[in-house]
Amino acid sequence: MSKSNKGWFALFTVPLLLVFTTVVIIPFIIGIGYSFVSWDGIPANPKVFVGFDNYATLFRDDRFLTSAWHTIEFTVLALILVNVLGLAFSLLVTMKLRVSNAARTMFFMPNLIGGLILGYIWQFIFTDVFKYLGDKTGFDSVFFNWLIHPHFALYAMVIVFTWQMAGYTMIIYIAGIQGIPDELGEAARVDGANLWQRLTRIVFPLLMPSFTICLFLTLSGAFKIFDVNLSLTKGGPNNATELFAMNIFNEIFGYGHYGLGQAKAIIFFVLVAAVTLTQVIITKKKEVQY
Amino acid sequence: MKLVKRTSVLLTTTALVGLLAACGGNSNDNQQAGAEKLKKISLFQSKVEIAEPLEALAETYKKETGNEVEVWGSAGDAYMTQLQAKLAAGEGPTIFSVGTGAEANKFKSYYADLSNEAFAKNIAPDMALKDGDKIVGVPYGVEGFGLVYNKSLVDPKDVKDLASFTKTLEKFKAEGKNGLSLSQEAYFLIGHIINTPFALQSDPQGYIEKLNKGEVKMADTKEFQEFAKFMEAIKTNTVNPMEVKYDTQMGDFATGKTAMVHQGNWSYGMLSDYGDLGFEVGMMALPLAGNDKIAVGVASNWVVNNKADADQIKAASAFLNWMFTSEAGKKAIVDEFKFIPAMTNIDAANLDPLSQTVFEATKAGQTIPWANNYFPQGVIVNDLAPATQEFFLSKDMTGEQFLKNLDAAWAKGAK
Repeated sequence: MSKSNKGWFALFTVPLLLVFTTVVIIPFIIGIGYSFVSWDGIPANPKVFVGFDNYATLFRDDRFLTSAWHTIEFTVLALILVNVLGLAFSLLVTMKLRVSNAARTMFFMPNLIGGLILGYIWQFIFTDVFKYLGDKTGFDSVFFNWLIHPHFALYAMVIVFTWQMAGYTMIIYIAGIQGIPDELGEAARVDGANLWQRLTRIVFPLLMPSFTICLFLTLSGAFKIFDVNLSLTKGGPNNATELFAMNIFNEIFGYGHYGLGQAKAIIFFVLVAAVTLTQVIITKKKEVQY
Repeated sequence: MKLVKRTSVLLTTTALVGLLAACGGNSNDNQQAGAEKLKKISLFQSKVEIAEPLEALAETYKKETGNEVEVWGSAGDAYMTQLQAKLAAGEGPTIFSVGTGAEANKFKSYYADLSNEAFAKNIAPDMALKDGDKIVGVPYGVEGFGLVYNKSLVDPKDVKDLASFTKTLEKFKAEGKNGLSLSQEAYFLIGHIINTPFALQSDPQGYIEKLNKGEVKMADTKEFQEFAKFMEAIKTNTVNPMEVKYDTQMGDFATGKTAMVHQGNWSYGMLSDYGDLGFEVGMMALPLAGNDKIAVGVASNWVVNNKADADQIKAASAFLNWMFTSEAGKKAIVDEFKFIPAMTNIDAANLDPLSQTVFEATKAGQTIPWANNYFPQGVIVNDLAPATQEFFLSKDMTGEQFLKNLDAAWAKGAK
């Protein structure tokens, strides 16, 4: 890098670095400190150093462990649904259809609405519209108030999250698909490969970089989800949909256990980092060059 | 090393710039405030119902005295969270509201001493929020809750004990009406109704302490066993409260679809929005273990933040004095906020029927206390409510199991 380039480099990077340090790195380090104290969040009240007690407590906390299980359940379901749908949408709109541009817009649109608002809208759908449909059509084993049933409330969250994210992953898959040279598909067609063979042998392997990104985005997004959780179910009924982030929030602000909640947050960070890193490493290995 | 130096230079520069900006802001404020005016103060409180009239009152205050009070938007259920976050960030409001009991204790170190203020001598006996001998908080007013009922549908004589209560609910169910409605919000689902068995203990606060230590169990206490039977009767004979929101609860009551709701005098505000109801409303006790008294207490108190600067504290006391002694202020408390005053200098004429009942019960001493003020922090929302949701959602759960679950939930919340 030449000297003048370095100057430009610094000019654009330093402000960002500064912001990142002050709002992410420094609070994170302070946060690690808080996880070793017992404190109720009132600045004037004492902070008592308790060593690793908070970490020991959280592994005995049933509610935290249950919320961990629910988070995993939610993440697996959401991961599959979002990516299958996103991929399907992208394949659909890259075919030469008359409506593909309109379809693109429609599929992407839910992503423009914030998670909180989406949650409130769907809350209305699940509680009122579903109940109405059930009453009118007689299919009340499917159409009932999903949000007061422990399992269905979780599925409801998966649906809303998918609704929000599928269009977004679609965009990334479209970019990937358009990066694949047409000749490859045509050559395969000439050799007699059918659609399925062309998809699994050519498109999917060459889409691996897109998979890496999309899986990473959905995985981390699903793990960290809070907004939809809050607006759609508030963690209810009976804490059946209280996911990680919400459990931490409740520990800190509900009970006023700032130290314990912070310890949970640290564990949460380690988990998210570990899971997403593993995923990125695995999918990176599968990427191929043509 | 070089990097560290550079970074620290940068950080210092940013900090300096920030400081300068902060100073600039302050000097501007002073110029606007002028010489005689009191400093602008901020006010933050938890009651959504009074948000609008409170802002109107702040306007009146500005017109009458020229001083400014900035009313921050009400946060409802999230109030505590936001207040705590704001205080922790050093950006706390000058005046804020706290509950009584455990909640008030928690914020103790923030209270300015109000003992010498003019309004302090007008607070009704035993109603002031105190820290030792110092008066630190002024009550909003007293409030009461119990069974709010439709006088044209329900005769209080039919709701005298468990048997008649259950019979009444069954009668309404057969008629296709909803006999009693709770609603899904934590306090309206369990927090208020569970107060009765606590309040009926000979020493409610002592009982709660024992419960915290695990020395007693709700499942072994007579009043709670009967409470569980009441809840069973409600579960079997009424619309599932998990399907009902506060709005729906009051709406159905106002339109005669529901005969009784477990609510407080504050709910009359919502009823009056419906105009002429076509029937009279009354409030009676939840007839648990022979109880014939409604639960009355001080829900919220105004306190002044002692971490604000001296000028602001002065301005805050001046505002409270104005609110509790001026004609406009007193009128707003009774007519606009619909509070039942806990002050001796405020007359309580023209109360709505529910508040009237509470007011009369208070004067006659026919009340039970709000034991739920002394519950461990967050236990209603975080532990009791989920256990109750489970009770109402699982068809097979008996009242006995429900009590055991409540005990388990309490043990978790109290640790």
